[in-house]
Amino acid sequence: MKPVTSTDLAVTMTVNGRSVTRVAGGHMTLLRWLRDEAGVVDPKYGCGEGVCGACTVLVDDEPASACIVLAAQCDGTQIRTAAGLADEDGQPNALQRAFHERHGAQCGFCTPGMLMCATAMLADGRARSRDEIREELHGNLCRCTGYQPIVDAIEDAQGARTP
Amino acid sequence: MFVKPFRYERADSLADAAAALRGAGGSAKVIAGGQSLLPMMNLGLLDLEVVVDVSRITEARGVSEDDGYLRIGALTRHRELQSDPLVITHQPLLAAAASNVGSSRIRARGTLGGSLAHSDPSAELPLAMTALGAEYQLTNGSSSRTVMADEFHSSYFTTVLAEDELLASVRVPKLGPGWGWGFREVSRRPGDFALVAAATLVRVAGGEIVESRVALAGVSERPLRLGAVESSITGAKLDDLENRIGAIEGLDPVTDTSATSEHRHHLARVLTLRALADAYTKAVA
Amino acid sequence: MSLDEIRRSKADELRIVNKPLARHDAAEKIAGSTRYAGDLAFEGMLHARLVRAQVPSARLTRRDVTSARELPGVVAVLLGEDVPNNEISVDVPGQTIAVGALKARMQVLATDRIRFHGEPIALVIADHEDALAAACEAVEIEYEDLPVVSEPEQALEEDAFAVHDSGNLLAEWNIDLGDVDAAFAGADVVIEGEYRTQFVDHAYLEPEAGVSWIDDDGVLNLRVATQVVEHYRDVAKILGVPDSKVRVIAPYVGGGFGGKEDMTVEPYLALATSHTRRPVRMQWTRNESLLARAKRHRNHMRYRTAASSDGTILAQDIQILSDAGAYAYLSALVLLYSSVHACGPYRVENVRIRSKTAYTNNPPTSAFRGFGGMQVVLGYESQMDELAKKLNIDPGEIRKRNSLHRGDKLPVGQEIITEVQLAETIDAVRERAGDKPQPSHSRAAVGRAIASNMQSYGRLVWLNDSAAAWIGFQMDGSLTVRCAVPDIGGGQASSLAQISSEVLGVDMDRISVHFGDSALNPLAGTTTATRQLLMSGNATYEAATMLRDQVLDAVATETGQPREALTLTPDGIATQDETMPLQKALQICRRRNVAVEALGTFFGPKGKEVTKDLQGERLFPDFTFGTHLADVEVDLDTGQVKILKYIAAHDVGRAINPLSVEGQIAGAAVQGLGQALLEEIVMQDGVNLTGGFFQYLIPTAMDVPDIEAVILESGEGLGPFGARGIGEPPIGPPLAVISSAIADAVGARPTTLPITPERVLQCVQEGSLP
Repeated sequence: MKPVTSTDLAVTMTVNGRSVTRVAGGHMTLLRWLRDEAGVVDPKYGCGEGVCGACTVLVDDEPASACIVLAAQCDGTQIRTAAGLADEDGQPNALQRAFHERHGAQCGFCTPGMLMCATAMLADGRARSRDEIREELHGNLCRCTGYQPIVDAIEDAQGARTP
Repeated sequence: MFVKPFRYERADSLADAAAALRGAGGSAKVIAGGQSLLPMMNLGLLDLEVVVDVSRITEARGVSEDDGYLRIGALTRHRELQSDPLVITHQPLLAAAASNVGSSRIRARGTLGGSLAHSDPSAELPLAMTALGAEYQLTNGSSSRTVMADEFHSSYFTTVLAEDELLASVRVPKLGPGWGWGFREVSRRPGDFALVAAATLVRVAGGEIVESRVALAGVSERPLRLGAVESSITGAKLDDLENRIGAIEGLDPVTDTSATSEHRHHLARVLTLRALADAYTKAVA
Repeated sequence: MSLDEIRRSKADELRIVNKPLARHDAAEKIAGSTRYAGDLAFEGMLHARLVRAQVPSARLTRRDVTSARELPGVVAVLLGEDVPNNEISVDVPGQTIAVGALKARMQVLATDRIRFHGEPIALVIADHEDALAAACEAVEIEYEDLPVVSEPEQALEEDAFAVHDSGNLLAEWNIDLGDVDAAFAGADVVIEGEYRTQFVDHAYLEPEAGVSWIDDDGVLNLRVATQVVEHYRDVAKILGVPDSKVRVIAPYVGGGFGGKEDMTVEPYLALATSHTRRPVRMQWTRNESLLARAKRHRNHMRYRTAASSDGTILAQDIQILSDAGAYAYLSALVLLYSSVHACGPYRVENVRIRSKTAYTNNPPTSAFRGFGGMQVVLGYESQMDELAKKLNIDPGEIRKRNSLHRGDKLPVGQEIITEVQLAETIDAVRERAGDKPQPSHSRAAVGRAIASNMQSYGRLVWLNDSAAAWIGFQMDGSLTVRCAVPDIGGGQASSLAQISSEVLGVDMDRISVHFGDSALNPLAGTTTATRQLLMSGNATYEAATMLRDQVLDAVATETGQPREALTLTPDGIATQDETMPLQKALQICRRRNVAVEALGTFFGPKGKEVTKDLQGERLFPDFTFGTHLADVEVDLDTGQVKILKYIAAHDVGRAINPLSVEGQIAGAAVQGLGQALLEEIVMQDGVNLTGGFFQYLIPTAMDVPDIEAVILESGEGLGPFGARGIGEPPIGPPLAVISSAIADAVGARPTTLPITPERVLQCVQEGSLP
C-alpha cells in the first residue's frame, strides 16, 4: 500500500461523540487540531512538552498529551475530553461532582486534564490508595490546590462507582 | 504550539517507512509514539522536512518467546512492557525500567523503539538493554542486520542507524536460574529524566557472586556497561560489595540545570551498590 | 466607616459566610466550559508573536524586518519605531530624597539596547499561526555585545558596568531602632547566618495569553489573562489614545501568583490590533513565559541576632541584597516588604536593617505571592531555630516568648492593631503532629521543625487604595454584583457572592457576579497583595449594607413597623408578624423612589509616602500570622528529601469560605515547598538556561504529602466579618521549615535554596551523623 503523504490532510475523529472532519497540515498537533479546527477548547496548552498534563485527552480510551501527538496519527480515533464527560442529561458525572464538592478546581486551568487523567485511572475499576492515586497523577501539574483536594475527589469518585 | 510545518507521511510497513526515509534524504525522522520527538519540535530544538509515521505498523508490536530469549517489537509500548506476562516472568528488570519512564501518558503512547532510537543517555530502556546485552534488529526494508545494544547507542541522541534504517525488534535473554536483578534510579522528581540510573544482574552461587552485568545511565554520552565493576565483585558476598567497589572510573557525566557532574559521579556509586544489593537479594531469595 | 474598625462577626450567627461552600465558578471549570483568555477565537483573527533578544546585554546594531515582511501570511512586523509611545514606565516611590524622582522606564520594543535574554525587539503579526515561526526567524538582528552584569554584588562594585545610565543601585531602604551595637555587646548569645534564595517562576498552568479587537464604538478591547484590569491606562498611554478608548477584560485567570500583575501580552496585542484594525490572538509559549516574564527576586540575606540566655531577642542586624534584574518593575516595593518583614512576627527592640536592590542583566524581577515578605522567613526562622538549639530552648517556646502582641510595634514603627494568635498557631500544629516518625531504612534520617511567619495583607497605605462594588436587586429578587476585581482562581468572585448573600439574604444560586471588566464594572483595583477580600470584600459589604438599609427603610416607612424589627432572609423580609415577599418590598422601593441598587466604595487606610529611611511609619493595613510543621526523611546517601508530614495553621480572622481558605493554605504551602526543594530559574552569565517545564521543576502530586490546613479564627481582621487575607501568607514558612527539618535530621543547616540533593549531602557531610 502506498504511504499517505500530505501536508494538508483530511483527518476525521469522533470528538466527544461528534464526528469531525477537518483538512489541516500534517504537522498539526492533536491539541491545535482540537482547539483551532474542531473548536474543542477544554484541553489546554500548558507547556508543549507533554510534561504538565493540561492537554490530557483520551485517544481510544488511552490517556495522551494532545500537545505531543499529531492529529494525523489520531485519524479515525475516538477522542474524549473533559467537555464530553457529562452524563447523558448534561449533568456533571460523579467524578466532576466530586471535583466540585472537594474544591478540586481553583483556577481550573489544569482541571480538564486532571479529569481525564482521573477518568483513565477509574476506567480499570480498581480502587487505588491515596499514594497510588498520587502516583498516577504525577504527570498532571497543578499550581493552585496542592493536589490534596484532587486526590480526595478521585477517592470519592472511586467510592461512588463501587459502592 | 509552534511546530514548524513539515510533510507528514504515514507508513503501513517497515519497508514503506524505510522507503519514505530514503526519499526524504536526511531531514526526516520517524515518529511512533512521538513522546520525545514532538516535545523537541515544540521547543524549537528540531526542524524537519519530513516526519514518517510508523505508529500504525502492526508487524512490529508485541512480545514473544524465542527459546532462551524474548523478542520484543519496536512498537511495543512502555505500558505493555510494564504489564506483559512474558516480560514480568522472564525479564522483570525490563518491566521495572519501563515503569520508571515518564508519566502514565508517556508510557501509554511511548514505544520501545522510539526510546531506543532517541538514545537519550539518561533514559531507562537503553540502560536496561545495555545491561541485558540485548540484540537490536535493524532493517532498511530490503536488508536487516543485528547490532548489540552497547554498539547501537553511540553518543548523545545518536545511534548507528543509517538514514533509511529502522529498529524492528529487540531480542533479550531471559533471566536465568540463580540470577537476580536490580534497577535503581534517582531523579529530581518522579518521572523526570534520571540523574543517574543503575541496572544490575547477578548470578549467585554458594553465597557468592559468580557472574554479573552492571550498567549505568546518566553518567556518560551513552548508557555504560561497567566491566571493571563486574570483575571487581566476582566472588563477593552481599556484605563485601561496599568494599569491593571504589570510585567508579570512566564516567563523564554532564552538569545541567538538574544536577552537577560531581553529584552524578557520587550517585553512580550509591546506586550501583544499591542495585547490586537488590539483585543479590533477589538472586538468593 | 474607618478601616481600622474591626467588623466582628459571630460564627454561629452567620448563614452563608463561614460555610464550606462549593464555589459557583467551579461548576463551569469542572464542565470544561470556562473560556480562558486563550480560548476565545474570532473569524479572521490574526496571530502575533515576539522576536526576543538571544543575548543578555548588547547594543542593537541592526534590525531588519524587510524579508520577514515579505513572507507569505505575514501581515506586519513592528519595531519600536512603530510604537506611538515606546515606553512602559514605573514610578519608584520613596527614593525621592536619595536619588531624586526616579522614573524607571523600559521600552515596549527595544530599539537600541538589550538588557536581558528574552527582551522583546519586534512584533510579528500573521494571518495564520504557522507563519509566525519562520517570520520570527527572518527578522534580522545584529548585536554588539556589552559586558554582562550577572550578580547584584558585582553590579554595586564601583567600576561596575552600568546596566542603566542612572547607575545599578535601583533602591535602598534603611530601618534603625534602638541601640543595636550596645545590645549586641550586652548579649548572652549571638547567632549569625547567611541565606540565599533563588529566582523563582510563578509557573501557573496558563501561560500568558489574550485576544484583542476593536468594538463597534471604536474602543480597543483586550481580553487577557491578568491580575490588573487597570492596565488599560498603561495601554492607552502607549498607544497615545484617551484612557476611555481602551477596555481590559479579565476572564477567569488560570493562575496569577503575581506573575500577571505587570503587563505581559497587553501592549503587544494592543499594538497589533491598533495597527491592523483586526482581532489578534497572542499566546506565549511556556518557554517564553520562563524566559522573559518577571521572576521572584533572589535575595542574599545576612542576619545577626543577639539574645539573652532566656531566649529573648535583644537585637537584629540585617542586610539584604536583592537582584532587581534588568528593569525596575516593582523591585523597590518588593524590597520594602522584605525590609519591613525582616524580623518576622517577633518583638525586637534594637534593629538595624540595610537593604538594597541592584540592576543586573538577569530577567526582570517583580511581584510574586509573598512579595519580598516571604524570602526573609528563611532568614528570621533559621535564626530562631539556631537560637533555640544553642540555648536548648524548645522551638515553640522560644517563638512564643518573642511573639508580637496587639499594641506592640514593628521595627518600622507600625503598631499591631489586631489580636496576634501566633502562639495558638504553634500549639495547633504541634497538637496534630503526633510522634516524630522513625526512618524507613538504615541510611535515612528523619527531622522535624516548625516555622512561623507574618505577612501583610492589603496594599501599602500611602498608595491610597480604594475599591468599588455595585449591587443591584433584579425585580424578581435575584441579585447582580458588579465589581471589576479579576478572579485568578482564589475564589475572588465567589466570596463577593457569599458576602452579598449573607447581608441581603439572597440564595447563592440567585446571585451573579460580573467581574474583571475595566469598562462596565466599578473599578476595584488589582488582585494582588492579598487585598481583594479586604478591599473588594469591604466594598461589597458596604454596598450590600447600603442596599439592605435602603430596602428595609422603605419597607419600615411603608408598613409603619420599626426598622429594627425587619430583616432580610432567603424567604423575604421578616417583619414582626409576617414575611413579606422580597418582590413586594422591591415594588415598594420603586413606588417610593428608593433605589434598588447601591455602589459601595471602600477606602484603605492612609499614610504618608516613605523615604528610604523608614521610621515611625504605618506601612500596611494589617498582618496575618501562622506556623507550619514538617517532618522530612533524608536519604543520607542520595540527598533525596521526602516530606512525610506537613501541617499549616494560620489565624485568618474569619474564614469567608473555609474550603477556599484551605485551598489557599495548601496551595501556597506547596508552592513554597517547590521553592524550598525544587525550583530555580538557572542563569549563566545572563543566559536563562531554564527552557521548559522539563527543567523548571514544580512539585508533582508525588513530591508533597497531604497538607493539613488548620484554620484559626480570632475574629480579628480588617476584612468583612473580621476576615484577614490568606492568599500570600502561607507561602513563606515552607522555606524555613524544610531547611530546619533537614537540619534537625542531619545536624547541619542548608542555607541556600533550592535545597537540592547535592546541598543536602553537603549538610550530611558537615553534620554530626555517621
